[in-house]
Amino acid sequence: MGTTTFRRDLVIAVIALVVLLGIPLVFPSAALRDFIIYVVAYGLLAISLNLLTGYTGLVSFGHALYFAAGAYAFGLLMQSGKVSTLSAFALSILFSAFLALVVGAICVRLKEIYFAFLTLAFQMLFYSVILTWVSLTGGDQGLMGGIPRPPLFGIDLGDPHVFYVFSCVLFVVCVFLLRQITESPFGYTLRMIRDNQERAVFLGVNVFRAKLLAFVLAGSIASVGGIVLALFASGAYPGYAFWTTSGEAIFMIMLGGSQVFIGPIVGAVLLQLLNHIVTIYTEHNGLFLGIIILVAVLGLRRGIADFIYEAWAGRRAARAPAVTAKAQGTEAAAGNKEAAYDPLS
Amino acid sequence: MTQVSSGLLMGMLLFLVASGLSLIFGVLGIVNFAHGSFYMLGAYFAYAGYMATESFLVALAAGTLGMALFGAVFERLFISRIYGRDVLMQLLLCYAFVLILDDIVKIVWGANYLLMRIPPAFALPPLFVGGGAIPVYYAFLIGVSAAVGLLLWFAITKTRFGKTVRAAAINPQMVSALGVNTKLLYTSVFAIGSLLAGAAGALAAPVRSLTPGMGLSILIESFIVTVIGGMGSIVGALVASILIGLTRAFGSIGFPLFVDGLMFTIMALVLILKPSGLFGRQV
Amino acid sequence: MSKPKTGVRRRDVLKSASAVAGVAAASAVTGFPFVAKGQGKVIRVGMPTILSGRVAILGESSRAAAQLAVQEFNAAGGINGRKMELIARDSKGSPNEAARVTRDLINSDGCEIIIDAEASSGSFAVQEVIRSLPVLCIHTCSETSALSADPAIRVPTAFRSARQGIHDAVGGGRFAAELVKKRNLKRWMTCSPDYAYGRDNTAEFMEYLKIFEPSVEVVDQAWPKLFEPDYTAFVTRILQVKPQAMYSALWGGDLVSFIEQANLYGMFAGDLAFFSGGLADPPVLKAIRQLPDGLNSVYRYDPQYPAHKGNADFYDNYRKIHPDPTNWSWQNYTAFTFVTKALKATNGNTDGKALADVIRGMEIDSPFSPTGKITMRAEDQTIIGYPVAWGKTVSKSKGMTDWVAVDWGEIQEHEKEWKRRKGYV
Repeated sequence: MGTTTFRRDLVIAVIALVVLLGIPLVFPSAALRDFIIYVVAYGLLAISLNLLTGYTGLVSFGHALYFAAGAYAFGLLMQSGKVSTLSAFALSILFSAFLALVVGAICVRLKEIYFAFLTLAFQMLFYSVILTWVSLTGGDQGLMGGIPRPPLFGIDLGDPHVFYVFSCVLFVVCVFLLRQITESPFGYTLRMIRDNQERAVFLGVNVFRAKLLAFVLAGSIASVGGIVLALFASGAYPGYAFWTTSGEAIFMIMLGGSQVFIGPIVGAVLLQLLNHIVTIYTEHNGLFLGIIILVAVLGLRRGIADFIYEAWAGRRAARAPAVTAKAQGTEAAAGNKEAAYDPLS
Repeated sequence: MTQVSSGLLMGMLLFLVASGLSLIFGVLGIVNFAHGSFYMLGAYFAYAGYMATESFLVALAAGTLGMALFGAVFERLFISRIYGRDVLMQLLLCYAFVLILDDIVKIVWGANYLLMRIPPAFALPPLFVGGGAIPVYYAFLIGVSAAVGLLLWFAITKTRFGKTVRAAAINPQMVSALGVNTKLLYTSVFAIGSLLAGAAGALAAPVRSLTPGMGLSILIESFIVTVIGGMGSIVGALVASILIGLTRAFGSIGFPLFVDGLMFTIMALVLILKPSGLFGRQV
Repeated sequence: MSKPKTGVRRRDVLKSASAVAGVAAASAVTGFPFVAKGQGKVIRVGMPTILSGRVAILGESSRAAAQLAVQEFNAAGGINGRKMELIARDSKGSPNEAARVTRDLINSDGCEIIIDAEASSGSFAVQEVIRSLPVLCIHTCSETSALSADPAIRVPTAFRSARQGIHDAVGGGRFAAELVKKRNLKRWMTCSPDYAYGRDNTAEFMEYLKIFEPSVEVVDQAWPKLFEPDYTAFVTRILQVKPQAMYSALWGGDLVSFIEQANLYGMFAGDLAFFSGGLADPPVLKAIRQLPDGLNSVYRYDPQYPAHKGNADFYDNYRKIHPDPTNWSWQNYTAFTFVTKALKATNGNTDGKALADVIRGMEIDSPFSPTGKITMRAEDQTIIGYPVAWGKTVSKSKGMTDWVAVDWGEIQEHEKEWKRRKGYV
């Protein structure tokens, strides 16, 4: 079972990479390349966050912290001129993982909404530090003057085509890794924690350690997204660490779907496309985006990928108990009002 | 003394907004992310009322009652559809309205900075209390906020309505089974919460410039207050608001750079040590 | 409360399908959104700017000026039969979005010229885009000196048509020093927003004040955060410190709140000399309900100064399409004056390098200059000759009066020295 899924995933990953690399050959448009690079950066943020929200039931509101940490660490290391691109890359991920370890160790013990608020508080703390520590970070103006891109193994990241290939490879590798995590026994442990933490404890799972590991893994992958964006925009900005960036990531998950593995990426594509189109046709971004969110929340009630998957699965086995059970599991994980939010209990 | 009074002033306006947020959360279980926008709308409603009639009282009424009505309609049309839904869905719905309301305000009133005139009755020299100066309007503002807070506390702890509200917060099915119209109850609680935000906006309109997006900073501070004070606790909201107000007033003198960071540090500490907040068990 | 679901209802599927179809239809309308339109008959000018949030007025007043300029360009027949089209896009004030929008304007909309009406942080992001996509770019709102002064940041095809921090600092120091001598104002305090622009602007002002008048002493500095709604704590602190004079880099809505809240404490009733870096923008003056008399402000925009007919005409024409113009309005309008003249010089060639070569060092006739001329200085690609002047508020008319212009020769001398100190030359 394990090896066949691995092989199937590997084949899908290779096909996905070939398709991504083929797109600029069919549509040689710089704007389309740009678009896909943004999807890569934000897609990594969203899909890594879904390891927490979708698979573990941990609603993090501060995931952009690691995205920003990756971007800033990488930008600063490159601007210092003292380290190679590769070591800057590795060090930035390590730094973000370390931050995630510290923050996660404090946060994952908390329940539901309190977990969300505490992750939010740490993110805003990080944001305040970026704004305040002007001599290092450039404060509100961000890292200025560009991020140098010396050749990496002889490939020139300054060339837009090369950079596109680089981003796509990175993206597919990260998503593939994440897929292996979610399909591993560890991934199923996380699902068990999400659906029924008591049972997991009863079965001898160290819940704290499992949650913390998921938190650190998610943070590390998010930082790769930040690095891609820093390289692309040739700068890092405090906005990366602001709560709205985390909010966007959550929105991507909701838009795309949290139960299907690639749902968040579908969401990233949709949100980037929406943002793109809405900015072109109106200056009332907020009004249109808001109405679209409203329709998604009140009308669809779940992500589009989830929707299509469920419709497909539903047709295949009209009353297959597995699907229903899964759907119910989701709702149970989300919690109902009395259980999750009663401030007085 | 002067810094204490300015801390109180910021704290009391914050309290009005945060107590509404806290009340809505405590009873309805909804994290109303759009609450900062309600504050903004309250200010713009007051501005519109003042421009139409030149009367401060009408402006206040437009801001408070207007927002109560708005809140009631809002709850019926949108919030009532997401009770018991995933917390993310609730946040997204409210976030959608943050975006929508900002844009609507910009379309209706423009992006220009607006300011409502200080009512002429308050155009007096500052009062001198304990060696510090307090403008008459600010004294009025602190007084009104305190009175509203007291009224709210009284309504919730002493009246029949308050008892029902508290009961509904603990066990809505039970309350419903006892024949209370919970629908109406939820709507009125949401309306009261909105009224409080609107009141803060209306009171602030003569002294704080109005722009679209002005609700954001007070939203974030209200969240900090609600978390520190305990979600759902009115007393907690009061204590935490004054705490944050004083931190801001003195922090801006002692260590201006890191006031925001300090507020988030306090919030994180409270969450770590006592996740339910300082006063997490009362309404 | 939650209802258990049984499978997926058909209605929901239909809803989702229609949502997907909606997005698809939206992209179909554009053709495909990412296919560059290429060089057409129309010259497309892209404008990344801020059209939403707290500083939407920056984008709106910039865009209105650009619209006016484009109308005039087209009414005059365009260039070689090519008309101009303005495409303004909202960056929501985020540098990240500013970069994205700018790339898109060039790559996907085929904009051949970028007028960057972003605030400072956004314009640094736009600058990086222009470095990799070298079309002609004129920054029209950023006043941060480093954008053009620092050779490490400079880009050959990017210019600035906006006032610059260091010019205003020299001018402000010069002007304030005169008053210090006259009225013996020794004890100074500052109250400016806590972000890069506020800090740099304030530091530079005080630096030059001390160069011109070494006896000045800064007794205290207050730093409210950007977009702070409540300045009471800062006002009370000022009252406690009791400075004789103060400088503030507050601007826009923040400045409106500050002055109104200070009025409650009667802060301007005494003889405090107030120097502002942002008061003289018409929308700010008008928003303040009780504008005190005699506050000093650096020039932002005034329809009566410079007293050219062209300036009055600009004001009237502008008001036909938008409320009061701001500092950003004349800066954007001026950028278009450069573009128009440059297009004539290149005979309609819109290549970034070709346009940059003629704009570098170009002098234009401008109604916004006391001398009638504004020059795009060749060495650092930024404008000089615009009004660096200080005036006083008039409560009754909600306007400004008594403009005193500071001599550009003196400004440039000090600027040269400043660049040497900073290691920019």
